[in-house]
Amino acid sequence: MSEKLTIRIDGVECECEKGEYIYDVARRNNIPIPVLCRSDAFSDHRACCRICIVEVEERGKRKVVTSCVYPISQECDVYTKSEKILEERAVILSLLAHRAPDAQRIADMNKAWGREGFERLVTIDNEKCILCGLCVQACDSLGTGAISTVLRGTEKKVDTPFDKPSEFCVGCLSCANVCPTGAIEFSQDEKTRTIWNRTFDLLFCEQCGSLMGTPESARHAVGEGEVPTVCDACRKKKLADEMMQTYRYV
Amino acid sequence: MTDQEQASKISEIIEAYPADQRFALAAMQDMQHAFNYIPEEGLSALAAYLGCAEAQLYSMATFYKALSLTPKGDHIVKICNGTACHLRGAMNLATELKRNLGIDPGETTEDGTFSVELVNCLGSCALAPVMLVDGTYHNKLRVEQIPGIIESYANGGEVSAHD
Repeated sequence: MSEKLTIRIDGVECECEKGEYIYDVARRNNIPIPVLCRSDAFSDHRACCRICIVEVEERGKRKVVTSCVYPISQECDVYTKSEKILEERAVILSLLAHRAPDAQRIADMNKAWGREGFERLVTIDNEKCILCGLCVQACDSLGTGAISTVLRGTEKKVDTPFDKPSEFCVGCLSCANVCPTGAIEFSQDEKTRTIWNRTFDLLFCEQCGSLMGTPESARHAVGEGEVPTVCDACRKKKLADEMMQTYRYV
Repeated sequence: MTDQEQASKISEIIEAYPADQRFALAAMQDMQHAFNYIPEEGLSALAAYLGCAEAQLYSMATFYKALSLTPKGDHIVKICNGTACHLRGAMNLATELKRNLGIDPGETTEDGTFSVELVNCLGSCALAPVMLVDGTYHNKLRVEQIPGIIESYANGGEVSAHD
């Protein structure tokens, strides 16, 4: 059992364990901290968007930290809305809004917490991506590794190798689903799905006909095992029916 | 070089290293050295050997300036654009090279003889402006000297650094 600590976030006393991240403790205590690049799907966070910054006061010293990756090591006071934080967050949001003007979520955040006075910055046209790398993390964690960040500096982007359809992509949409700004484009009609320049067939449940993804993603998920033909809900229902029959006369 | 020769050269380079991801950069540098670029087959063979994603190696290959995924020219001309060289007219050298070879920094001539690169500092600020061709320094360069230097390399010869 790890050590218990009590910290104060915006004056509210919060119980936490040593080593927990400030963001997690704040959320558990219903203290909202805005974030973009943090996903519950992973235990290690990107700390890339910098929107989740908070001020921490430990032993009388105050500093600005990213709450999504700052582990609590001692009793401290956390300020999520101090003047300094609001100012710095506004600057970060303004920069992100110029980087990704088409991202609705950033526009909304910028409206709520942003400030005026950054008009001199150049806005990138038709951009939604903030290069947080969550999509790459998702693809890597699935073991597909189809996408990565390519090039550097102002040309940096997320792409497949050589800008070609990837043989490793399984069309699972994990990258698009995890993206905080909806920057990864894909299209889908009744029978096919196209993502990263590659078109996949769609797989439907044999029983209820609901969408199960692509044959490639189903195959990847089971590895060497048998590819399922029915969706999770139907499989559970079938199992439950069987159980009911088995124990009928007990 | 035939495809087969290239493939055997690739596996020779790759297999000189243990199958560990930390040797990825070293193997890619060797390929760059052997072929003057990293062929696509080389990247996928290395990924298979090291057991990592090809996308990850592609990310590295596009990140480092020293690695190239398109064939470089036989002669690589590096124009120093560090502070001292820049002030002493490095960009004029680039313009003169464009006039001679018809390419901007970062490009390769169509016949594959020359590649021109703009680099940050070659560490010879006292000799500015500096141009490096295949490892040979051309110091305190004047724009008028460039056609002669290019011609000597184009003819297959080399010129001394202080002619």
